[in-house]
Amino acid sequence: MDISRRKFLKIGAAAGGTAACAVAAPAQARNARQPDPQWYGMLNDSTRCIGCKACMVACKKENKLEAESTLGEKEALGEQLYDAPRGLSEHTYTLIKMHGEKEQEKTFVKTQCMHCVDPACASACIVGALKKQDNGAVKYDAGMCMGCRYCMVACPYSVPQFEWHKAIPAIKKCTLCSETRLEKGEPTACAGVCPAGAITFGKRTELIKIARARIDAAPDVYLDHIYGEEEVGGTGVLYLTKKQVAFAALGLGDFDYKPVSGLTESIQHRIFQYFIPPIAVYSILGGIMAYNQRRKHNAGIEGGDDEY
Amino acid sequence: MNIKALPLRHRFWTLNVAVLLFFMASGVVFAYFRFFHGFASVTNLNPAYPFGIWIAFDVACGVALAAGGFTTAAIVEIFGRHRYHALVRPAILTAFIGYFLVGLAVFFDLGKYYNIWHALVYWNGTSVLFEVAWCVMLYLSVLAIENLPNVVEQFRGRVALPGPLSALNAPTDWLLGKADGFCRRTMAFFVIAGVVLSFGHQSSLGTMMLIAPYKLHELWYTPLSPLLFLTSAVSVGIPMVVFEGTLAAKFFGRKPETELLSGIAKYIPLFLGTYLLLRLGDLAYRGVLATAFDGSLQGNAFLLEFALFAVPYFILKRRRSRQNPTLLFLCSLSVICAVVLNRFNVFLIGMDMGPEFNYFPSVGEWAITFAFIAFGVLLYKIGVNYLPILEEDH
Repeated sequence: MDISRRKFLKIGAAAGGTAACAVAAPAQARNARQPDPQWYGMLNDSTRCIGCKACMVACKKENKLEAESTLGEKEALGEQLYDAPRGLSEHTYTLIKMHGEKEQEKTFVKTQCMHCVDPACASACIVGALKKQDNGAVKYDAGMCMGCRYCMVACPYSVPQFEWHKAIPAIKKCTLCSETRLEKGEPTACAGVCPAGAITFGKRTELIKIARARIDAAPDVYLDHIYGEEEVGGTGVLYLTKKQVAFAALGLGDFDYKPVSGLTESIQHRIFQYFIPPIAVYSILGGIMAYNQRRKHNAGIEGGDDEY
Repeated sequence: MNIKALPLRHRFWTLNVAVLLFFMASGVVFAYFRFFHGFASVTNLNPAYPFGIWIAFDVACGVALAAGGFTTAAIVEIFGRHRYHALVRPAILTAFIGYFLVGLAVFFDLGKYYNIWHALVYWNGTSVLFEVAWCVMLYLSVLAIENLPNVVEQFRGRVALPGPLSALNAPTDWLLGKADGFCRRTMAFFVIAGVVLSFGHQSSLGTMMLIAPYKLHELWYTPLSPLLFLTSAVSVGIPMVVFEGTLAAKFFGRKPETELLSGIAKYIPLFLGTYLLLRLGDLAYRGVLATAFDGSLQGNAFLLEFALFAVPYFILKRRRSRQNPTLLFLCSLSVICAVVLNRFNVFLIGMDMGPEFNYFPSVGEWAITFAFIAFGVLLYKIGVNYLPILEEDH
């Protein structure tokens, strides 16, 4: 057995391990993306929502979406009576759901794309088909998409939906009416139609001020927290809730105040930073290979000493 | 190297080949519905489980189980253990077939499969998938080059194309000669590149699900996940070589390479030990070991996964167990199952995307997965039958 060679291999293994660890260890979190004051968003005040679902109807009209029959009436009666979606789907970009057991805790909550400040879907998309727009909407480009569905995994709110029934499927989700209305200076369809004033459309910075003012004006009605101001690095759609009802009970997760893509991006960044880790591993392996080949050459035998 | 690898030249049409073709045919039937009537007509995928068995098994496990290629190449070519060179060619061929099938599986799983080339053109550097896609693509090319010498060795100087194509015999031979020269000069570069690329995407597959901190169970959500994926892939490399070597010997009626396999198996406990140390250390450091015993599906899945990793480690540490072909085969199988279960845990079982949905692969999903496996086995048979992959019995 060759002691010096053994030592060399150990050093090589240790160096390789260190390089691999450098790849795996998360780098310092990248700087948080700051919300642009020009970004539009919505404020959903769950204390005001009366559950009339006018927003859902307006959304379906605006985006020309099919009604969904989930009550079995189509099978039983031969005709579809209701639009009754159970969750977000390729036909339903926004949905009102009721939460809470006790009477005073019953709350209607609107779901739709949150139009995050630092969207996980945009970070995850392999081709960059999902992008944050200058007006604040997170826009999906069907022509660029490959249909890998990684955005559905990435989104902490599970918003992007897939057309499971189509031969050539695409991702479907709320557009913030970016192209159909915002560009014409109109508010989103759902906000425009809400009879209870539960959906307020506007610039995100303004909406935070409005929300703050509502909490301050009625501190015994509202929980003193604006959901989405900081959650997952900030969202474009903000929420208010009743004092006795936690956001988590409304399906709005108790998430950290940082983007969910922080860890994956810092690991990726580590690997690609000047390509140092790959080049380091390559050089170490190359060195070991050269060493072994020279040893074999010097020994003049094929096969060599295989023990270690 | 004193013993030459030769094509097997066995009879091609056997009962086993018919069985493989049957599986492939049933896969084709379901593939028709997948491509012309949408995912819903074949799969049980739903909004809460956008990734199913095609990603968890065909892609994640496919990549991990093809690790035999780069681990064997590294041990023999880089670390100079030339005693095991007989294992390199089959391992590299299997890796090539494995990655080819991974690419094919991705094609089946993509909604807009015809846009697959967008990964080359539209870059999004923040995406883990971007890195995986590039590494897999480059590594597949490297594997093709690493397999090229086998083709050259077989056909150089005796190119005999059928019928009117025979006019191309001379140019083809000239090309093979060029390829030979190219391979001889650059093989070292590609061997190392293959290992580095494997490090890259094996670990990146572990980074993939870290984008979902609120969906992936804490037993698997760890910043160390890329390193764990890499070390577990390295650990399963040799077990795959043992698994394939043993089965190939059985099905092709050859003498099993017991001595070689027992020899190279001494590295298994080394790699497994490293993995287990990292895995346990990570769980202990994050203080989540207790959740493994809470009786939940995820907790039990973890315990099974861990046992499948740990038991072969303790058995294979003993030289005598490694020299027992049956025990070695069973231990290798255990490590393979452990890695498969681990990938399933990360991509499916450990993912909780809400209480309203559940997922179990449909008949169609299984059929297409089995079709891929059958296709892989068939390609392996074609490879060893017509190319100099396996060495003569000695």
